[in-house]
Amino acid sequence: MRWLELTVFCVTAANSALRYILMCWISAQESASRTMAMYLIWLRVALVFFGASSVAVIPDVLSGQARWRRLVLPACVAAVFFNFVGLAEMLNLAHHWVPASLHEIETSFALLLALTFLAIYWRYRAISLGLFVLPIIFLLLLLPAAGPDHAPLSSQWMHNGWVLLHIALLLAAYAALIFSLLSSLLYLIQERRLKQKQVGGVFSHLPPLDTIDQIAFKTLVIGFPCMTAGLLAGAWIAQESVGAGYFLDPKVLLSVGMWLLYVGMLFVRRHSGLRGKRAVYLSSLVFLVALSVWAANQFSTVHRFVAP
Amino acid sequence: MNFVLIGVNHKSAPLTVRERLAISPARLQEATQSLLSVPCVREGMVLSTCNRVEFLTYQEPAQADLLEFIRDFFAVDTTALRPYMYEYRASEVVRHLFRVASSLDSLVVGEPQILGQVKESYAVARSVGGMNSNLEPLMQRAFTVARKVRNQTSIGISSVSIASVAVDLARKIFGSLQGKTVLLVGAGKMGELAARSLMQQGASTIYLCNRTDERAVALAEKFSSQKISGQLHIVQSIPYSSLHDYAAMSDIVVSSTGAETPIFNRQHAQAYAHRRKQRPMFFIDIAVPRDVDPEIDRVEGIFVYNIDDLQAVAVSNLSNRAREAADAEAIIRAEVERYAKRMQSLDGVPSIVALQKNLEEVRQIELRRMAPRFAGLSSDQMQAVEQVTRALVNKMQHAPIQAIKRAAQEGDRETLATIQTVFDLEGHSESAATVEPTQAEKPTKQDCPQ
Repeated sequence: MRWLELTVFCVTAANSALRYILMCWISAQESASRTMAMYLIWLRVALVFFGASSVAVIPDVLSGQARWRRLVLPACVAAVFFNFVGLAEMLNLAHHWVPASLHEIETSFALLLALTFLAIYWRYRAISLGLFVLPIIFLLLLLPAAGPDHAPLSSQWMHNGWVLLHIALLLAAYAALIFSLLSSLLYLIQERRLKQKQVGGVFSHLPPLDTIDQIAFKTLVIGFPCMTAGLLAGAWIAQESVGAGYFLDPKVLLSVGMWLLYVGMLFVRRHSGLRGKRAVYLSSLVFLVALSVWAANQFSTVHRFVAP
Repeated sequence: MNFVLIGVNHKSAPLTVRERLAISPARLQEATQSLLSVPCVREGMVLSTCNRVEFLTYQEPAQADLLEFIRDFFAVDTTALRPYMYEYRASEVVRHLFRVASSLDSLVVGEPQILGQVKESYAVARSVGGMNSNLEPLMQRAFTVARKVRNQTSIGISSVSIASVAVDLARKIFGSLQGKTVLLVGAGKMGELAARSLMQQGASTIYLCNRTDERAVALAEKFSSQKISGQLHIVQSIPYSSLHDYAAMSDIVVSSTGAETPIFNRQHAQAYAHRRKQRPMFFIDIAVPRDVDPEIDRVEGIFVYNIDDLQAVAVSNLSNRAREAADAEAIIRAEVERYAKRMQSLDGVPSIVALQKNLEEVRQIELRRMAPRFAGLSSDQMQAVEQVTRALVNKMQHAPIQAIKRAAQEGDRETLATIQTVFDLEGHSESAATVEPTQAEKPTKQDCPQ
């Protein structure tokens, strides 16, 4: 039964990936017929660097060939630089500073993830997270680098400081959540290896268990004020624009649910020292709720930036 | 390359033979001086560790009887020793020395102590004038090669002793051991060693526990009296009755008692995990029969390694080292070849010096011969003449110098001899090579048989 579920999951995932790549290709074809915006060139350069970094991190983490790190880190730093330049150009071209379209959000989120990865590496020398994060960043940047976004945005909110704060803080909270989830996964792998007395082979160069645990917990702790402040900023905007009725919006309700779950997870971790399998389950649950909050845009009447 | 090395090691000779030739650090200087007084030995070094005793020499000519030296110095019958001894000459010496310094010839391949021991012997030899123009560059190269092997292969990374494997595993769990608490249960030697290694790596507190409290107190005194890596440690003996209270406070438990049944079971472990809020805990069980119930390993956050597990890790690491040794051997081969080439190219130096000296003499003779005709020249004009003649000589000697270098590098003795004949360098090059005798080359000893 589990094999059947796994097969269905794999087929669905492969189908989604193919559709995503096809969408990127169509977008690239469309953009090729027009004059190419400068930011697309920067994003593509960033994409190449992120791609190189994603490939080079594999032998570094899996077989401990530290010489690959000489490529992973410089390539990642260069990618961050071009990602930043691309994002700045993209927003400048759109005449606003609030990342609101799908491409702008993806580019900003990719930049945030890469910066967080570099910050964690600088603090803990933990390159292993790159094994998962760098390909995620690469995929995030694939669509924005393929071509311009055509969704018209309402100009009403595009210069509002509260909106910028709301988006930036929530993206930071999502980034923290992703790193916490990935760290919990690494913890699980390392714990299993130590329990099974495996010393060599793949994953033998993961960071120490305690270090992974610190990363998982500290990212959660940093993400919490970001999420709280981000939601408060969003509530303030909704109160101003829609009035008290905003609270019944499905996206708002889900966001509150996500926040409560986050608080619960922090509380449990702090008081009973949640680690290992249970930490992964709880982090995954919060992450799934976060994804559903993102998806709830489709049903939300409050959370709309697209021009009518 | 008149290098000659003679010696015994753990592969060639049993301990009974090695201990007859062992030289204590206090006698190393005396041994090196005695070696240097052997006829024909110009430079020398003595290396004596628990696994080897070796005598490295540079001889001119390579005819010194080192066995006689061994017989005299150790007062032993060398005919009985001969089957256990090995002798290397020329490039074989280079290869052997590179392998020794890189720990490829050690009992535990990749162990780091040997390089330090070679450096100590080198320092002693240097202090008594045993290192000069021949052995000095060879030793420097050996140190460079050893560093290269260590940096470019993983030969020394993995631990192969039980104590160091335990430390490595603790690091995999806790990262840094700074500030960690260790509980040592029992007074077994191996447990003590493991605890000591953990303290050396930064563990700050050690609780000592034994069924007989007096033994725990004695062990605590022993730990307190021996300063470990200059850090401040809290060493405390605890009564056996409060073992489980202290175990819950400890990050690492090293157990090596003679108990017939396990003293730590699953219920204990669950209680520890609860009290520690699931913070990881590491049990190192060195006792046979085991002190720690293997069921404890099922408790989340608690890791148990018994003596077999530690042994298995050590064996696995040892085989990793053997794999890395193959890469290290390739580095050594390339380095020996490079060193041999370098030595060949150095053979051309006396010819170059002789050529330069020869041409300078010609220039001086011609200047002296023309001196009466230059009498009317001003000092500026004389300086110009000096410069012109010097430039001419430099230009004329450029091509032959290049040819000498090329021939020396390629080991082309025929071309080298031709150049020497054409420029009449044979007599000069010999004298050039022996211009400044080094300390070891000075005739301070009896004549060398020719």
